[in-house]
Amino acid sequence: MKKTLIAATLLGASTSAMAVAPGGPGCGWGNMLFEGNSGLPMHLLATIVNGTSGNATFGMTTGTNGCDTNGSLTYSGQSLLGMTGVMEEVAQDMATGEGEALTALSVSMGIEAGDRARFNAAMHENFAVIFPHQDVTAEEVMASITEVMKQDESLSKYLA
Amino acid sequence: MRTGLLCVLLCWIAPALAANFPLSLVDLAASSRWQALMHVNPGATLRDRGRSYIDDDNYFLADNGKDDVLAELRATVAALEPAQAPERCRFPARYRFLAEHLNWQEDAPFAHCEEYSEWRSAVQASRAVLVFPAAYLNSPSSMFGHTLLRLDQGEDSAVWLSWAVNFGAVSSEADNSLFYIYRGLAGGYPGRFALVPYVQKIQEYSHMENRDMWEYTLDLDQQEIDWLIEHLWELKDINFDYYFFDENCSFRLLELVEVARPDSQLLTELRFAEVPVNTVRALDDRDLIRERHYRPSKAVELDNLRRQMTARQQQLARDLADDPGLLESKEFQRAGVQQQALMVTTAYRYLRLVNRKGARDPEAAKDSFTLLTEMNRLPKVDVPETVDPEPPESGHGTQMLALAGGQREANQDFGELSYRLTYHNLLDNGYGFLRGAQIEGLGLTMRSTESGDPRLEELDVVSIRSLSPRNRFSKPLSWYVEGGLERAWAGRRRLVRYVQGGAGGSWAMGNWQPYLLTSLRMENNSDFDTFLTPGAGLDAGLLYQRGRWQWQLGSVGHYFTNDTYRHTSELAVHWAFARQHGLRASLSREGWRGDGDNEFKLQWRWYFD
Repeated sequence: MKKTLIAATLLGASTSAMAVAPGGPGCGWGNMLFEGNSGLPMHLLATIVNGTSGNATFGMTTGTNGCDTNGSLTYSGQSLLGMTGVMEEVAQDMATGEGEALTALSVSMGIEAGDRARFNAAMHENFAVIFPHQDVTAEEVMASITEVMKQDESLSKYLA
Repeated sequence: MRTGLLCVLLCWIAPALAANFPLSLVDLAASSRWQALMHVNPGATLRDRGRSYIDDDNYFLADNGKDDVLAELRATVAALEPAQAPERCRFPARYRFLAEHLNWQEDAPFAHCEEYSEWRSAVQASRAVLVFPAAYLNSPSSMFGHTLLRLDQGEDSAVWLSWAVNFGAVSSEADNSLFYIYRGLAGGYPGRFALVPYVQKIQEYSHMENRDMWEYTLDLDQQEIDWLIEHLWELKDINFDYYFFDENCSFRLLELVEVARPDSQLLTELRFAEVPVNTVRALDDRDLIRERHYRPSKAVELDNLRRQMTARQQQLARDLADDPGLLESKEFQRAGVQQQALMVTTAYRYLRLVNRKGARDPEAAKDSFTLLTEMNRLPKVDVPETVDPEPPESGHGTQMLALAGGQREANQDFGELSYRLTYHNLLDNGYGFLRGAQIEGLGLTMRSTESGDPRLEELDVVSIRSLSPRNRFSKPLSWYVEGGLERAWAGRRRLVRYVQGGAGGSWAMGNWQPYLLTSLRMENNSDFDTFLTPGAGLDAGLLYQRGRWQWQLGSVGHYFTNDTYRHTSELAVHWAFARQHGLRASLSREGWRGDGDNEFKLQWRWYFD
């Protein structure tokens, strides 16, 4: 039982109100970024009971959802991107060059405070590369981010 | 700084003292930390006084642990003392408490607790923040707002990576809203703590429900926060009773803070109804709030953008959202870069706001993407800060007493005494409250005239009104619902029982806010032939607010199925001359077929709690 709870991930796989993976286990942009929330009824319920529905969620350390393949990352760049609605916010922040979502992404990737402005600028400049169209997936976005960082001398060290 | 030093000193002395003069178990059981860990009710609510609030056998090691904290302490000592005791993994805060006081010294007391250790290393925090998503009228449980706790891992700007501690009722998916209210009031649900990523809460409140959020950094140090986190683990899957009015989300958070800092005296006063804003006030009164931060909802941000533009630009921005092809239009191309950026950003934000809730629409996704790409090309637009958002804890008190005197017709003087349990009336001082929102629960008015005994004039069971202005970008529905007992004309002035409600629209023009709503009423009185008589009509009026003055001119009328007709029109003005005091004058006419009564009233209203 305990194990299942652990596996039940905070990142929204099963019990959380916001957890929905429309269209199956994939976590493409289509599902996450410009996505409507097909979990709306669940959301309403969560609102009504002040945020807990069904089994209570309790923050757990291992997170898997459609996006992260290794299944052990909590709040790592990729899992974060996979969370409902987050990629949309990240895209918006990258388009303008700053914002809380972008900061969260850089912090979760271990980028130090001194390099964050550089990270933001690199993401801003390469917005069109990272988000080439509205159907891009989280994996593709993550791969592009990695690629951009690799090209940047002050950011490449975080990829090691 | 001084308290910090003091604490360091105390923390250093306390174990030393304990070693030399071990407290008796009786003293330990009575100590404030143990009482807090046991969630003993010190008299804050009427139920379970002197007993634990926790309603779950799994939390107690002794059979009568809920009632006898000393027995529970003894059982805990016995269970946790042996090395490798499995119970340690369930009760790390209890272990820490006992180890400090009984001088247990072990280097790695939780080495065998794999699950706990894993969790604990993931749930780190150096700052605790009380979060108060403001009122949300469209859900009964959130009308008064909600509170949760946020645990920040450290980075100031990375709150998206924080944890949210939320206490809520655990209900099954099949329960509908009405049933929820009933069971919530009657105590039919267990309540539990949940720990979820804070980003989910931002999505929920700020993005989906468009609620502003207030974030209050608590003045807790690292030690205190660690107590809180360790105790949180002990509450995993543990059931509390959940009562909508008092033992609710807000109340339980005070218990958590009490564990972090025993003797903070948060639960010493009797609390009949715990309104979330009063939780903020309770913490503020005990100097537990260090800092306040306002997080506007997406709708507020959009509205701020809108205000930066001329009417023509607003229209163009609105059209862009429908057809990004207009980016090529002459009118758009002619505008300056800053203005272009403003329009595109507004169009994008608007498109996201309306599409965020529905199923994904490929067309909207494509348009959003086009606009976003354009935003990337143009310079960044700073969403201007909301002008001086009014902190909710600075608003008027939630209970009210009022005295009034007046005259009905030319010859009947009266005096009135009113009490309202909660919360806010449209004419009350709006500072710190959601504009255009009214929530009143349990209001009672007694009227006394020269000719007779005091008698019940009005009993408001509930009265909710949501008048949100409509504009180019936002088209919310205005609605209201109310019910109770009131005096109305039915052959003579009688006490009638009624429920009424309706829906319509409202618009803002400077300080003026007109509204127009349909209205349906069900009434029971001893003059009408049928037990319940339905009526239909309109409720319309005009609000005007300036500084401390709030005016309302309104009229509501109903035509009943038994051919009775009745309407009430009123001109009222409220002067909020102090935070907790207001003077209100009203002139009203109650009319019915063929006749009517005029009434003038002057009322002094005092808000408290």
